[in-house]
Amino acid sequence: MSEKIIEFENVTFAYETEEEDAPVQFPALTDVSLTINKGEFVAVLGHNGSGKSTLAKLCNAILEPTKGKVTVKGIVPDTEEKADEVRRIVGMVFQNPDNQIVATIVEDDVAFGPENLGIEPAQIRKRVDDALKSVNMYEFRHREPHKLSGGQKQRVAIAGVIAMQTECIVLDEPTAMLDPKGREEVMQTVKRLNKEMGITVVLVTHFMDEAVQADRVVVVDGGRIVMNGKPREIFSNVEKLRSFGLDVPQSTELCHVLGIKEGVLDVDECVDEIARLAGGAL
Amino acid sequence: MSYTIETIGLTHYYSKGTVQQVAAINDVNLKIEKGELVGIIGHTGSGKSTLISHFNGLLKPDSGKVLVDGVDIWKDKETLKKSRFKVGLCFQYPEYQLFEETVYKDIAFGPKNMKLSEAEIKERVMRAAAFTGVKAEHLGKSPFDLSGGEKRRVAIAGVMSMEPEVLIFDEPAAGLDPRGRNALINLIKDYRKQTGSTVIIVSHSMEDIAEMADRVIVMNNSSVAMQGSVDEVYSRGDELRAMGLNVPEITEIFAKLRAKGLDVPQNVYTVEQGAAILRKLLERGSAK
Ligand SMILES: Nc1ncnc2c1ncn2[C@@H]1O[C@H](COP(=O)(O)OP(=O)(O)OP(=O)(O)O)[C@@H](O)[C@H]1O
Ligand SMILES: Nc1ncnc2c1ncn2[C@@H]1O[C@H](COP(=O)(O)OP(=O)(O)OP(=O)(O)O)[C@@H](O)[C@H]1O
Ligand SMILES: [Mg+2]
Ligand SMILES: [Mg+2]
Repeated sequence: MSEKIIEFENVTFAYETEEEDAPVQFPALTDVSLTINKGEFVAVLGHNGSGKSTLAKLCNAILEPTKGKVTVKGIVPDTEEKADEVRRIVGMVFQNPDNQIVATIVEDDVAFGPENLGIEPAQIRKRVDDALKSVNMYEFRHREPHKLSGGQKQRVAIAGVIAMQTECIVLDEPTAMLDPKGREEVMQTVKRLNKEMGITVVLVTHFMDEAVQADRVVVVDGGRIVMNGKPREIFSNVEKLRSFGLDVPQSTELCHVLGIKEGVLDVDECVDEIARLAGGAL
Repeated sequence: MSYTIETIGLTHYYSKGTVQQVAAINDVNLKIEKGELVGIIGHTGSGKSTLISHFNGLLKPDSGKVLVDGVDIWKDKETLKKSRFKVGLCFQYPEYQLFEETVYKDIAFGPKNMKLSEAEIKERVMRAAAFTGVKAEHLGKSPFDLSGGEKRRVAIAGVMSMEPEVLIFDEPAAGLDPRGRNALINLIKDYRKQTGSTVIIVSHSMEDIAEMADRVIVMNNSSVAMQGSVDEVYSRGDELRAMGLNVPEITEIFAKLRAKGLDVPQNVYTVEQGAAILRKLLERGSAK
């Protein structure tokens, strides 16, 4: 049996804000139960406002459930100490990299996480350099993070979590501002961390071609989990996904509209299928 | 004849005079015509945001000029101010744009500055909100208490409510869910058709640009590397890849089909286009 790393049990979360002096509740997640196993790569999809970032923040104790329970490796983060312990296990990349910048020099920013984990300086140096190289930002290490382009900031934020080498990383739309090559490189890095180092990955994304590469896909709609399965199962159901405001990769869509096959996941599968059928036309 | 936007030798340095001085854009010469829908693509850090921030005077050139309707926007204060109403810019990160107490006030900010009547302001806010899919129940909320994609919609609505002659979007679809992304593409196309506005879109999505743009400008290392129609630019896939870009997935599918010996065209950039071609091909195949 696989070992659980994060477990949501009937979790409900509501944001509370003051509006014209009266507190107003905004429910963001309702009765969510979800298990993430150690070593898994899980993608989380869902429309804007469906509750993905809320779910992500509950994974590393930035938010506390209004109802229900989140457990990380057996720890329920109900005290500051336990929340810190959880943050040593689960690292996070926020949706907006500006919210993540803590230092005025890129390399200090990346070193911040490992320093907080109490890693020894020589080790930190190596981790920071390796992390920056893995996102192609090494030559920017002496720059000010605030004075970088949108995509460069995003890469620095990703380097920050890579350098922490936590057992689990949660990435909230880490590639939203990256160019095509950068997006591909980040996916390669994420998969390498997952496959080679056994790091558990939770990836929130609006890119279907990224979700396809996960072991499992979770779909959130209006604060509830509505689909949960292997990419092929999930992407076989084009109409259902569309009803949740989502889509499928172009390869999947092409085979779907041509009515030749459902659940095709990538370019090569698509090309093989079409070439096979078109054999007669050659 | 003058162009809606023209840049002549436009150059901008950051951290000028320090060891970290960077030429973020270098000698950029562009001409954008009225009513055009121009897509700007380019690798991370290539200078796209810096370039468009010059179009409404948010950044001042270190050398070179920006002309709007033939007039140098830095000619005098009055011209600069006018160009800010004429050219609406929606930032890459919506957080940079949002600052009011409520979503309603944020969308109303531009029209208010334009000294429109209260009734006109309200009408514009409601129209822009509906256009961009901002939910009615969010209008009284603080923009900071919204999800990432919801903030993006408010930021876009805030620019659209000014109904500027030139609309510039920096990564407008980043963070939008697929339905929102498609809706935005249609919205921008419709808006342009209805108003004849000039639209400039910076995007990393080769797919979105293929669906919208009349003309594509490719930035590479602070300079313009290519420009032309979607077809002219996208047919140079290898060069694009060397610059950190790529071609849409559908284009890649067609390249691989050709490599397998299938008689299909190279210049396929949307799924719709591709499906139509393959339908015919497969029918022929089964007829044999
Ligand atoms: N700080 C907050 N205060 C009040 N409501 C909030 C706050 N943050 C988020 N919300 C609301 O909670 C819901 C879920 O938000 P969340 O950020 O989790 O969505 P999301 O799935 O990450 O969306 P996106 O794809 O746009 O990032 C939304 O309806 C949002 O408006
Ligand atoms: N405020 C700043 N101070 C110093 N350098 C900056 C500043 N803003 C951007 N730069 C640098 O200028 C160059 C161009 O940045 P710009 O933001 O225009 O790129 P971009 O093409 O928009 O990139 P992205 O796709 O990542 O948004 C980059 O190398 C960046 O590091
Ligand atoms: Mg989010
Ligand atoms: Mg930019």
